[in-house]
Amino acid sequence: MRTDFGYFEEKQLGKPYDIKMLRRLYPFTRPYRLFFILSIFLVIIITFLDLSLPYITKIAIDRYIVPKLESDNFKDVRGREDKVRFLEADITDPEIKAIVNKYSDQFKISGSFALISFDDLSGLDKEDLSILRKDDLAGVSLITAIFIGLILLNFVLNFLQVMLMEYTGQKIMHDLRVRLFAHIQDLSVAFFSRNPVGRLVTRVTNDTQNMHELFTSVISFVFKDIFLLFGIMFVLITINWKLALISFVVFPFVLYASLYFSSRARDVFRVLRIKVAEINTKFSETIAGIKVVQLFLREKDNYRDFARLNHENYQAGMKQVQIFAIFMPVVELLGTVTIAVVIFHGGGQALAGSISLGALVAFISYMKMFFRPIRDMAEKYNIMQNAMASAERIFLIFDNKDRLPQPRVERGYKLPAIDNIDEIEMEDVSFSYIPDEPVLNRISFKIIAGETIAVVGRTGSGKTTLINLIIRFYDPTSGRILINEKDIKNYEKSILRSKIALVMQDPFLFSGTIRENIGQGNSNISEKEMEYILEASNCNGFINRLPDGIDTVVSEGGASISSGERQLISIARAFARNPGLIILDEATSYIDSETEQKIQEAVSNLMKSRASIIIAHRLTTARNADRIIVINKGRIIETGTHVELMTQRGFYFKLNQLQG
Amino acid sequence: MKSIRLIKPYFFEKRFLIFFGLVCLIVVDFLQLFIPRIIKWAVDDITAFRVDATRLSYYALYIVGIAVLIALFRYGWRRCLIGTSRRVEEGLRNRLFAHIQTLSPSFFDKVKTGDIMAHATNDIQHIRMATGMGMVALTDSIVLGSAAIGFMAYINIRLTLFVLIPMPMIIFGTRFFSKKMHRLYQEVQGTFSDLTEVTRERFAGIRIIKAYNREKDERIRLEKISKDYINSNLRLVRITGSFFPMMLLFSNISLAIVLYLGGRQTIGLTITPGDFVAFISYLGLLTWPMMAMGWVTNLLQRGRASLDRIDKILQIKPEIDDCSGAEHVKLVYGDIVFENVTFSYGHDKEPVLAGIDIKLDKGKVLGIVGAPGTGKTTFANLIPRLFDVTGGRITLDEKDIRNILLKDLRAQISFMPQEPFLFAGTIRENILFGNKEADEKELVKAVKEASLYSTIKSFSDGFETIIGEKGVVLSGGQKQRIALARALLRDSPILILDDPVSQVDMETGSAIINTIKSLAGIKTVIIVSHRLSAVQFADQIIVLDSGRIIESGTHEELMKNDRYYAKTFRLQEIEEELNAY
Repeated sequence: MRTDFGYFEEKQLGKPYDIKMLRRLYPFTRPYRLFFILSIFLVIIITFLDLSLPYITKIAIDRYIVPKLESDNFKDVRGREDKVRFLEADITDPEIKAIVNKYSDQFKISGSFALISFDDLSGLDKEDLSILRKDDLAGVSLITAIFIGLILLNFVLNFLQVMLMEYTGQKIMHDLRVRLFAHIQDLSVAFFSRNPVGRLVTRVTNDTQNMHELFTSVISFVFKDIFLLFGIMFVLITINWKLALISFVVFPFVLYASLYFSSRARDVFRVLRIKVAEINTKFSETIAGIKVVQLFLREKDNYRDFARLNHENYQAGMKQVQIFAIFMPVVELLGTVTIAVVIFHGGGQALAGSISLGALVAFISYMKMFFRPIRDMAEKYNIMQNAMASAERIFLIFDNKDRLPQPRVERGYKLPAIDNIDEIEMEDVSFSYIPDEPVLNRISFKIIAGETIAVVGRTGSGKTTLINLIIRFYDPTSGRILINEKDIKNYEKSILRSKIALVMQDPFLFSGTIRENIGQGNSNISEKEMEYILEASNCNGFINRLPDGIDTVVSEGGASISSGERQLISIARAFARNPGLIILDEATSYIDSETEQKIQEAVSNLMKSRASIIIAHRLTTARNADRIIVINKGRIIETGTHVELMTQRGFYFKLNQLQG
Repeated sequence: MKSIRLIKPYFFEKRFLIFFGLVCLIVVDFLQLFIPRIIKWAVDDITAFRVDATRLSYYALYIVGIAVLIALFRYGWRRCLIGTSRRVEEGLRNRLFAHIQTLSPSFFDKVKTGDIMAHATNDIQHIRMATGMGMVALTDSIVLGSAAIGFMAYINIRLTLFVLIPMPMIIFGTRFFSKKMHRLYQEVQGTFSDLTEVTRERFAGIRIIKAYNREKDERIRLEKISKDYINSNLRLVRITGSFFPMMLLFSNISLAIVLYLGGRQTIGLTITPGDFVAFISYLGLLTWPMMAMGWVTNLLQRGRASLDRIDKILQIKPEIDDCSGAEHVKLVYGDIVFENVTFSYGHDKEPVLAGIDIKLDKGKVLGIVGAPGTGKTTFANLIPRLFDVTGGRITLDEKDIRNILLKDLRAQISFMPQEPFLFAGTIRENILFGNKEADEKELVKAVKEASLYSTIKSFSDGFETIIGEKGVVLSGGQKQRIALARALLRDSPILILDDPVSQVDMETGSAIINTIKSLAGIKTVIIVSHRLSAVQFADQIIVLDSGRIIESGTHEELMKNDRYYAKTFRLQEIEEELNAY
């Protein structure tokens, strides 16, 4: 059930994955080496315990329940010459001696022992029999006590081992997940525009989870089951190597069958996963396009397509049923055949006296134990394949080093700091996302502290791209951006960004309280400062209306906060940062003009001695700026104050008319 | 258990297979019980030296023979019973799919796609498990369990009773633990989706994180949630990790009882050594059915819950369906009349349309304009009955459209929705979607009319170009024109176009408008558009505001009116001029 994570991209799951991947995993397991060693140590003990249980039964049978002494040297009292199993009684014990004397005609005295044929025991009185065999009875009690002790120990150790293994596996996954998250987070914005969020999330969540399966299932398989298999083989050989070797004759067949079936099962398993993914796609596609399906009366055809897919899934499912319907019985059959071999051959040896009855029984028990892990092999192989596929996808991301270059730090040289942003200059900046499709073309302008610049232009003219370059989400294809006369590439990214507050077109808020969203980790904002920020950003009005005020939780689909209010919060967030440069990227599009006017005032108040860039859709927003830059198709086509541009009667003038 | 009737037909369909499968299963169970008997005979004979090599080979051959039979019958039940469960899966899923297709769009506004998907996959899988392995395990534990107990009791009742002491613990233990496991498993799922959500939110808001230097804090945040996740996993493992060893412990306790009491009885000659060994074998057979008992009840319960959920969906009646006495209509003339039509998306919701009265004769063109959210799309959706009017009525050739068979009504209409929905497949398949019987000539004609021909020719695979899911490889304008070609390919008396030129450039737009113009007089056409030049030629243009008609007339009349239409029209003229800049 838990292996069902992430059936996206199932189609890629085709090639066999190799052990190289495991080598890359090794560094993650290193901190937990001790746990691993301890866990393996426990596995070994558990295997011994598992192996010892049938052996104890063997001892109980051989030593106490069915005495093994048998002989044809003695002629039995009745003169039979067949092989007879005898019970040996120690007549130095007075109690036993009394019994022997009572049934003296059935015993044969030999030194300090009396022998009685096993068949003749039934002639004895029950009481007498239990006295005669009191040592055996005591032995059975003792061995049962040992047995119970061992099974309790086995229980405890098993539990400890599972917990330890799981703990280690989870810890490793946690480390891997956090590392992966941090790695992805540090990748450039360009990487994020290439990779859908859903895919990246799958890497951090489902794929790491799949790898966890590798630890718990596969590692426990490798150690536990393989230890067990070899352990059983070893014990069987020590009990009776000839019988052991004869019963091993079946093993190659078992091995061949398992390998053959697990590869077949894997193929079918893969087909099944693809079919399920296709069925899901069809379902979601139909739901999304239900109107079109119904309007064009395509229900029947669509159903036929679906039924065909579904039937293919059924057929793949039946193939799986078929494979398991052959595999499972075949393995069982081989197992039972082995038991038949043991009975035939071992029985013969038991008759010849070269093996005890207990050993024979133990052999049968071990044989049954032997086939269990083999049956699970196919399933474990699948899990392993799945985990390897996930591992590959994860390491593919780790291999991605798509980051913007950080300035090189030389010894004894400190990276420049920014105390105040005095001026920002774009120097002949060009940029293209795709080669030869320039989005910005030789842009140059300069802003000095205290100035407000408005950037105006139609949708897609390159305004947002301009911002992306200043905050260094991307680096220009050519040209330079200078802050305080230094190329921004020379500043550390975090220092650069700490001086800039960006309010984006789409007000992205994190789930959490409004306070957390405004504070952004900066918890030492005083109540008074916060009061001021809320006032300036016009948040006060709606926050006071919320029952929990500033501690209201903003959540996905939480309809209590409108788009406009979200924008106000993101403006407050920018104010809280106390930046050297504030950038409002169409930050007021959902806000009515009156409120916008107030925010404008607040911005100019707040930014009195600092720089600000305002990108506006609504031209009234731009009107008050110190300078207006008009961009069209990536080029600056006009620049000047509102009055200047209006008298020019160019593009800006026309835009103004349009919005009249 | 009313919902059980859902799977009855499949059981009935496969009744012979099921019967045969169950017979096989029971045969396997009994054959399995024979092996310990044979082992017992062999052991007894060996103990007493009553046996020779021939006799032993007979025993071995018996075992092999039984093993072969077991394998054959086991194959039989796996094929029949598990195979049936696959059939149930297929049938139920088909049924669910067919049902989903009949439901009205309003249903899908209320239900999340993910939920329906969960029904189609998880729930149906649960039902499959319950009908397949569930049935097998149930039969198995009852037959094998009681037979094993029977055989043991036959050897020695007293010993059997003692051996059975831990068994109830196994059954109750399994039930108890699997309930707990289920709860904890859900908790794990819960924390997992939290983890997913936190990660998603971080990656979706990556720009803000970078702009505000939040990387370190977010890493800590993820670390915390990841810790929660592994902790809930460990809580689950504490249960699963103790469960299986504990079950093993219980069955080993039974073994200890056999060892102690059975051993004593063997010494006391109450039972033979062979009995003793057979007892151990039977015990092995009994452990699995006991564990299965607990497991199977959960499996069945889960299956039933899933079945109930599926049933609930199947019980939902489509909101829009043929009413009793709906008429069969072959081909309509094409007169459409709205009589005081009102519509709202719910009883307590504001009306989206109110007091709409329109008369549109065959062959006339109606243009609908207005600001976003004024009810234009809703207006268009009412005619093919994607939604039903709340008040008033719409007639087609003087018949209330609710009295026409839905299938027939929709056959009269070619509709191009605002969102051009494309299916994964080739361009050809997507266009032919509108009319499967169309030949190549008609296809090319429709594509040319939609100004799409040269675009398609420019693709290296032409009509066979495969477009990804929802047409991701195409531009918005291309998708829109495919949807248009799809609608044009259908030769029906009524054509409804919801914003047909919003995503194409001016030139293509006017070519498309010319096509629509040429259909005037032949078809009754309704065009919704933001671009007013697309409706300029219409016989009648209405302007909607808050669901009401505020202006109505021809282009010339409305221009004279000098209100919303005239203002917007002039603005768009300037805009078009700017575009050429």
